[in-house]
Amino acid sequence: MQAVEYFRVECPEPRGAETYDGIANTVLLDHNLIRVIRKLHIYVDPNVPIFIAVGLMHRITTLVRVRDFANVNPLEGKITLVLSNETYLAPMLKIFWERFGQEHVEQADRFTVILRGVTAKAAEIEEIVVADPSEAVYKDLIYALKCIAPEGFRIRRESYGKGMFYFVASEDTLPDEVDGHVKTLFSKMGEAYP
Amino acid sequence: MILVPVTYKGGIYRHGEVMDLIEDIGGYIIQKHMIAQEVVLQCFVPKADVEFLRNTVKPISGEITDSSLVGTEIAVVSMSLEIHHLPHMSCDVAEYLRRLGAKTNMVSLARGPGKRISQLNDEERDVINEHDIAVYLLGNFEKCIEYKMPKLRRGITVPIVLCGGPDEAALRRITDPPLDGYVGYCGRYMHRAKETEDLTKLDEIIATVTRVLDKRREAIAKDPLSVSPARLMDLIRENVPAILDVTSPTPLTVQMQGLRVKLPYDPYAPEIRKIEIEDGVTIGDVAGVNPSRMRDYILVKILPFSETNVVV
Repeated sequence: MQAVEYFRVECPEPRGAETYDGIANTVLLDHNLIRVIRKLHIYVDPNVPIFIAVGLMHRITTLVRVRDFANVNPLEGKITLVLSNETYLAPMLKIFWERFGQEHVEQADRFTVILRGVTAKAAEIEEIVVADPSEAVYKDLIYALKCIAPEGFRIRRESYGKGMFYFVASEDTLPDEVDGHVKTLFSKMGEAYP
Repeated sequence: MILVPVTYKGGIYRHGEVMDLIEDIGGYIIQKHMIAQEVVLQCFVPKADVEFLRNTVKPISGEITDSSLVGTEIAVVSMSLEIHHLPHMSCDVAEYLRRLGAKTNMVSLARGPGKRISQLNDEERDVINEHDIAVYLLGNFEKCIEYKMPKLRRGITVPIVLCGGPDEAALRRITDPPLDGYVGYCGRYMHRAKETEDLTKLDEIIATVTRVLDKRREAIAKDPLSVSPARLMDLIRENVPAILDVTSPTPLTVQMQGLRVKLPYDPYAPEIRKIEIEDGVTIGDVAGVNPSRMRDYILVKILPFSETNVVV
């Protein structure tokens, strides 16, 4: 994983470490998460059994605005939005309904939305924030880590904040020393977990 | 007459003649696939006539290849049907085995995933035992395999081939008593097996399965079956017309020592028992016609010569 600044898999069984390195690589590539992750340290111990993944993510500052996927055309008292793709159509409509009222929002077809009798200007509508990808990235990351973790490890704890994340999974109740483990793994990456 | 498993591949043109020829020389067609313009026939033909058949189908661009797994039903035992094991590598292995003519069934365990959770219920055990061989696909950790395997093999009477992440020597070391076959460096992975390295591993699984089945064939040959499973298949197809209406890809699945008939047991078992093979000998005389644990199917188990004193 060249795009990741630090990547290591630790396991008491050398063969296990080697295969989990491959599995993590494949899963993160498949989920397009390689560019999002800055550092990742995975610890698997089948003796306990436990799976811990700790890491850092790149800062995701890009917010998705209406102008990113739609052309806003004001004409004769109405504003017509022509969408280039419908990925963010549902959240956009929800925001429009809340802001302008459902009676002012008309969806002509999958790629056209017409706003009638709204006071907002076209430039203002273009700047409306529709989605924050960092929320989706967190969900994607946890899903990917569930795929990487050994099967049957259904007792999980995960945390995400300030660009740091950890994911712990086991098939037994999580031991008390998990927090200590997480901190140690962060320190191995040269980071301090608060 | 020794029958050997082979696969015929050729075009649709004149393939009916090839089918007639196989039957005329005393062979049996186990399965026929029509894929676009191609016909694939999995069949048993007399050993002495393989070369003759090979030369005869040459003018119509047909090809005869040895397929050691034709006429076998293999259980691919996966620890679960979750994304961790499917489609890679359980499906990769099952598909690769099918390419060589085997009929594979995937058996996924209700309590298979993880290290601590490892149980085999009676239904899973019986279903696995109905096959000719079981290929166990386990994970990457030696510790887990060591812990789980004694429970997962309990009650299994068919040969087991164990595939796992550790090397073969390690797999051998952690299983006691030893299993019938081992394939190392073949544990859980999340990519499609298409690289040379992956395909070599799959070939290794095929080689191990073939070796174990050959041993089993040798053991059967010491006390031969009273009737060939392929012959029984033909007889049932001729005498039980209802089998022709079954939509399953293999309504009659040939095994090494019997066959699975995909018809309900209660209405059809007496009819099958009464079918005459030759000179008044019926199927009921030379084989056990039992209910299968797989759906409501019928499992025909052919008895050896030592038990029936008859070979037809």
